[in-house]
Amino acid sequence: MATEGAVHAIDVTVNGTSHTLAVPARRLLVHFIRETLGLRGTHIGCDTGNCGACSVICDGQLIKSCMMLAVQADGCEIETIESLGEGMDGLDPIQEAFKEHHGLQCGYCTPGIVLNAKTLLAENPHPTEAEIRRALKGNICRCTGYVNIIRSIEAAAGAQGEVTR
Amino acid sequence: MLLAATEYVRPASVEEALDALRANAGARVLAGGQTLINVLKHRAASVALLVDVSRLAELRFIDVRGDGSATIGAATTYAELERSAELRAAQPVIGEVAAGTVDRQVRARGTIGGNACFADAASNYPPLLVALDASMEIAGPGGRRSVPAAEFFLGLYRTAVEPGELLAAITLPPLSGAGVGYRSLQIAADSWALARAVAWVRGSATIEAARVVLGCVAGTPVRAAATEALLVGGPASAEAVSAAAAVAGEGLEPPSDVHASAGYRREMAAVMAKRALLDAIGGATHSQTTTRGGG
Amino acid sequence: MSTPTGETTYYPEVEQSERLGAWSGKSVPRKEDKRLLKGQGAFVDDLWMHRQGHVHFVRSPYAHARIVSIDVSRAEAVPGVYATLTGEEVGVLQQPFFQMAPEPAGLMKDYCMAVGKARYMGEPVACVLAESAELARDAGALVEVVYEPLEVVVDGIATIEAQAPVLHEEIGSNVAWHGLYDFGDVDWALEHADHVVRIDRLHFHRFSSTPLETTGALVNWDPGTGVVEFRSNNQMPMFAAMFIGPAIGLGIDHMQFSSQDIGGGFGIKITSYTYLTALALLSRKAGRPVKWSESRWEHLAASAHGNERTFLDIEVPVMSDGTILGFKVRAFDDAGAYLRYEPLGAVIWSQVVPGNYRFKHVRVDYTETLTNKCPVGPNRGYSRLQHLWLIERIVDIVAKELNFDRVALRKLNYVQPEEFPYETPNGCVYDSGDYPAMLDLALELIDHDAWRERQLASAGSGKRIGIGIGSTLDSGTNNFGQSRIINSALPFSGNGEAAVVRLDLYGEVTVTIGTSPQGQGHETTAAQVTADILGCSPDQVHVVAGYNKAANTYVGFSGTYASQFAVTGLGAVMGAAERLRGEIVKVGACMLGAEESDIELADGFVRLAANPEAAIPFIGIAATVFANVAELPGELADSVTLNCRYVYRPPFTVPDHETKRGKLTLTYASQVHAAVVEVDDETGQVTILDYAAVDECGRKVNPKIVEGQVHGATGHGIGAALYETFEYDGDGQLLNATFGDYHAATSLDVPHIRTGEIECPSPFTPNGAKGMGEGGGAPLSTIASAIEDALPVGAHIVYDTHNNSERVHELLRSAAQAGPRGVEVISR
Repeated sequence: MATEGAVHAIDVTVNGTSHTLAVPARRLLVHFIRETLGLRGTHIGCDTGNCGACSVICDGQLIKSCMMLAVQADGCEIETIESLGEGMDGLDPIQEAFKEHHGLQCGYCTPGIVLNAKTLLAENPHPTEAEIRRALKGNICRCTGYVNIIRSIEAAAGAQGEVTR
Repeated sequence: MLLAATEYVRPASVEEALDALRANAGARVLAGGQTLINVLKHRAASVALLVDVSRLAELRFIDVRGDGSATIGAATTYAELERSAELRAAQPVIGEVAAGTVDRQVRARGTIGGNACFADAASNYPPLLVALDASMEIAGPGGRRSVPAAEFFLGLYRTAVEPGELLAAITLPPLSGAGVGYRSLQIAADSWALARAVAWVRGSATIEAARVVLGCVAGTPVRAAATEALLVGGPASAEAVSAAAAVAGEGLEPPSDVHASAGYRREMAAVMAKRALLDAIGGATHSQTTTRGGG
Repeated sequence: MSTPTGETTYYPEVEQSERLGAWSGKSVPRKEDKRLLKGQGAFVDDLWMHRQGHVHFVRSPYAHARIVSIDVSRAEAVPGVYATLTGEEVGVLQQPFFQMAPEPAGLMKDYCMAVGKARYMGEPVACVLAESAELARDAGALVEVVYEPLEVVVDGIATIEAQAPVLHEEIGSNVAWHGLYDFGDVDWALEHADHVVRIDRLHFHRFSSTPLETTGALVNWDPGTGVVEFRSNNQMPMFAAMFIGPAIGLGIDHMQFSSQDIGGGFGIKITSYTYLTALALLSRKAGRPVKWSESRWEHLAASAHGNERTFLDIEVPVMSDGTILGFKVRAFDDAGAYLRYEPLGAVIWSQVVPGNYRFKHVRVDYTETLTNKCPVGPNRGYSRLQHLWLIERIVDIVAKELNFDRVALRKLNYVQPEEFPYETPNGCVYDSGDYPAMLDLALELIDHDAWRERQLASAGSGKRIGIGIGSTLDSGTNNFGQSRIINSALPFSGNGEAAVVRLDLYGEVTVTIGTSPQGQGHETTAAQVTADILGCSPDQVHVVAGYNKAANTYVGFSGTYASQFAVTGLGAVMGAAERLRGEIVKVGACMLGAEESDIELADGFVRLAANPEAAIPFIGIAATVFANVAELPGELADSVTLNCRYVYRPPFTVPDHETKRGKLTLTYASQVHAAVVEVDDETGQVTILDYAAVDECGRKVNPKIVEGQVHGATGHGIGAALYETFEYDGDGQLLNATFGDYHAATSLDVPHIRTGEIECPSPFTPNGAKGMGEGGGAPLSTIASAIEDALPVGAHIVYDTHNNSERVHELLRSAAQAGPRGVEVISR
């Protein structure tokens, strides 16, 4: 019976809060986020890194948290879905756009998709439909057929254009 | 989905990484993890120690030189390759292939070295590296050694990297006007390839030199030698390409699996070869290349 | 029952609510969205109970094997492992699950884990409970199972031959059910017809909707109360209860089921009652709550697949003007290793015997068989998908072979708008529809004529363009009496759903329903209709999220499945809201000193219609009834509770199991799709260039939600048509049990879907709506139709629902080969 092995101390900032915690080498980042930190908005939908339900932002890049070890997040800044919108009830403009355009049904893929939209619009504020589809490729949705997800992101991009930065 | 117990170390240098690899028989290099972590999830391999090289600047760089040659650190991510305008100007296909790899999450972490060392029959880079005659620089206890790409891929999941070594960098010779075509037939957009061909062609009206490399047909990339022989010295015409590509699949025994039969893979290898050649010939004077998902 | 005009009425007249209008019919934003968008949803893996253990299932690697021994000692010796449970124990601890099949198949012994024998790759044989999921997984590897592999059968037709290995000795064969459906006189039709089109074989492949959230549960058998609590994402909890209870000797009153958010169900989360049973037994043995989250490969290999059906020896009588008289066929449905929800599929297809058409003569010789594969479950479109695809293939093939225009042929044979309500050959009643108008709209949406021109222009270019059409039905609100056609001894009939609408102590409008939504927006649509009836806004209506047996109301068929919520769920909500409204009016009238007819409900107030200033908010009504009731006259006080329950009961009677006739579903939504594909002549790769989906589902309560369902069903259908298939090898090994190899369609695979709609209110439902979530699988026919349209002359027919590039490549090449094309025409 294999032993748990050594644990590693990691410093990781999640949604603006710093944590110093010990994790076993084998712990995936997604389990660290869900089980250790108790942030349940990041979901697990497959075992091969194909579905994207576990997507989070790590040092500004969208990554699949089931395809990274927690120890590899040492020194990183992670943003999960819980970092969007103010307080317990506030929705940010991307979330508002999804609500207005029925961009979600069961909601299981939604956190990963919303974070995908956030990073996409940050680097490409006015994406074409083709660019949006390309960006969403790693996030599987079984409910929406993607149509309203794309409409929501287009709307969010349009709304973004109205905001002076 | 749940990994077996394992150990982890993040060395501060290539030297330290090599020390860790040498000291532990069950050690494996971990870069982006976009393949290895799946292997670990399925417990398909038992890894006693993960040596994380993903942050080593020594392995993560893109150096493009004036003559158009380039050296890329093995831990350079697909996203970095995609974003490098310099690289795109000198070696367009490398960045294009990166841009079409799986999805943006994978591109953020997956590396060219990881792809090359995984050496699956459907891996994106091996046939391209062979077609470009890349040099694979391997770091080991005795220092660095260079292996031509054609000798790097030894079999399914096997490369010239020995235990205690790691792939450090990949050097691409200058294109010098050669055209490169890269075509894949995939089960769906940006997904598993059923057939893949890469063509490197020098010459515009007449074909002076050609390399046609097939992926997905065997455990390693395969040079379509008969196709090359028919092309070299002949006209760079669609008819000549068709005739030459038609023999690309001969003698091959591709795998049969849930996605495609051996026969279809063999036939499609020839079709991809033709299309890659036409792309390469089309771009021979402009160094324009095409990566197409749907073939 | 006849009206004075002599027309036949099929159901008692339904009073359609006049109150729906302010909110119903509007795309009100969803109440569910805030929590889901913020990651605040409560999915089953998010739940936690004190002292819980984590479960890992040990599964058979063999498709068919005798279990010689199971040794759990090494696993149990590991510190932190709480308990194990094996199939051997299960064989003693539970009664075999109730079977719906008649004997001999009904003699099958189905347990929550393999007992004595494993019958499909991935079948659970033992489970381990440990303090962490990692430990349970690691300890699971220490469970030693000795198997004696047996011969495997994976072919759903060969499995009934004498030499095939028998899966269940108690049955004696691998035939799960057989019956002959014979309506009209197909022999006469075949003799009488001008042409008979014979199609050798069509095949509907095995795939699944694969909800993004896998099956899971947190189960606790409380030793103190004897109540088993199931916090699970099962989507039909009372059906599950009816199987679990007798199996483990527990009254349903001692079972509690709850879920809040479910990450997609699509019918695949109906048969998880087997896992829930295992978890209950494990919890009781260990004296702890047990938590299980299914991995994706477990889901793909061992939850449920969609039905796989093969159609042989199809014969279609056709008149020279194109009238298709009907057809006959031998159908073989491969149910996998156990029956679970089957063999209901053997009758459910007959809700749509003639599809969208006026065929009068249909014979289906239907055999359901067992093989060493994952058991099937009622996957989205359950059993109708298969039959409707057959029909659309027939229509397209007849058109091609006899040189009819596919559009004209459909319009000629469609049930015409003026024929509704339309009685089909087996007595089902199609409530309303307008298929020709939908077809025209679909073709207009893709600009059909322009594509025809492009198709001609593309000849010889290496890219073939094909245009496809697919019509389908989404029959909704089942009459469970159809189960008696399968087994006349089954004590099921009718259907129902329950709702409670009440005022809480401070007048808050609260709704509970027996449904278990997985993304269909029930909280929102229930609030809309309640708001209409009570004269308030949906924001003032609190619909309790999710399913909860103890807190919400329910009936035997409670759950969310079978395209029925808009009718049964909302029917129940409407009924309960009307009852509450009546009570509010009574109390309000008393408090305002007026007649009930003077009272109106508006803006969340009870007021005098003639003088809106005289108004009482709901809090006033509630406070009086709950805390100040001495102020009311005794008779009035005795007659109001402000807690109103209503069970919606669709007006079904029991079908006739001898003739296999009856009214099997209440409503018939429909969809017509059109698609344009480009086929690469050298590779066979298919790209969708344009896609349109037109739907009709009666009065829409929330148009955006309806459109979302159309998009989603279309996405599933396109995925299955081009990318998704379960493939087994000859040893019964599932070759693609990961999302790497089972390619769920992505945003690059599903094109933009143009949508169109028409509305033909159902005369049979209280809100004119029709259930519609399943969709009907139109993409499967539409894409097959489009591919066939792209093929060269002389090619083999498109014979399978799944057409990857290699199969299309074969079809392209078939034109140049002299072989059979899969179809022949005999003309008089």
